[in-house]
Amino acid sequence: MMTDPNNDMLDDLFAQARAVAPQPSDALVARVLADAGNVARAEPVPNADPQIGIFARFMELIGGWPAVGSLAAATVAGIWVGVAPPVSVEDFTASTFGEPVTIGIFADDLDFEIGLLTDG
Amino acid sequence: MVALAEGGLLPSADCFGWVTGVARYQMNMTSDSFAEASDAALLVAFANGDNDAARDLTARLLPRVLAQATRMLANTSEAEDVAQDAMIRLWKIAPDWRQGEAQVSTWLYRVVANLCTDRLRKRRGGVSLDQVAEPEDATPSVAEQIQTRTRLQALSDALAQMPERQAQAVSLRHLEGLSNPEIAQIMDISVRSVESLTARGKRALADIMAGRKAELGYDDD
Repeated sequence: MMTDPNNDMLDDLFAQARAVAPQPSDALVARVLADAGNVARAEPVPNADPQIGIFARFMELIGGWPAVGSLAAATVAGIWVGVAPPVSVEDFTASTFGEPVTIGIFADDLDFEIGLLTDG
Repeated sequence: MVALAEGGLLPSADCFGWVTGVARYQMNMTSDSFAEASDAALLVAFANGDNDAARDLTARLLPRVLAQATRMLANTSEAEDVAQDAMIRLWKIAPDWRQGEAQVSTWLYRVVANLCTDRLRKRRGGVSLDQVAEPEDATPSVAEQIQTRTRLQALSDALAQMPERQAQAVSLRHLEGLSNPEIAQIMDISVRSVESLTARGKRALADIMAGRKAELGYDDD
């Protein structure tokens, strides 16, 4: 079986290439080690999320959903105290700010006057 | 001190830092501080801030990285740039390296092959590079050295004209002497694909080189 002269040439070229075994120069080693030092010393890149929205920033500011729950509870309690104040709160406001003044929308004499007008 | 997976303990950090790296590298070429540690364990140690690990990885891996680049590119300056670039990528991937998933050497073969084919692609523009790696052996005559350089340059230029995957497969098989299963891992393809790529690649290479037989001194063969 004849050998392919082109393959013989390639095999010889491959053998010559495999024989190349360069040793790294001192300069190259210095460059590689300097790179290693630079990478090791590099500051970690902050992982800022550009997608974060205003709502997320607000939630982060107030402390998340637990804070929202507390806020909601405090708001409801405040409204309820305003609508139907307990006795203790009434006593406290009376002693601090004076007696409360009650203004009736439908005064008794108004009913009377309406009756006069009707009859007359 | 960082405990290695292999059970050894890393030596204390070099108090002189990176400045003394080259000197220690030169002195300790044969006395690897982590002789029992795997490349991956050294990489983890480097990521944990151990300077000695970088020196030992450099001593262990840089010669092979440089040799692969030199064989493919036949150009000392370009091969050194590729070797440096490959090692930078190694340092950068260290914090994310997962032991057991891949071999460092396999990963480096792939990186160097890709970097080299990138360089070879740019060479297709017709720019001929003339700085060829000097043969280490000083005994051949000057004429023989010149011929060897010319041949290796021609081989590299021929690789530049081939499809990149074929060039990578051929170089890993015939210039690095790796087995087909090893190449399959490096290139992330099947062994059958490697066989196909290397066969077609070698035929393409032979066709390209056929026209340069006389020039390269293969007339008498």
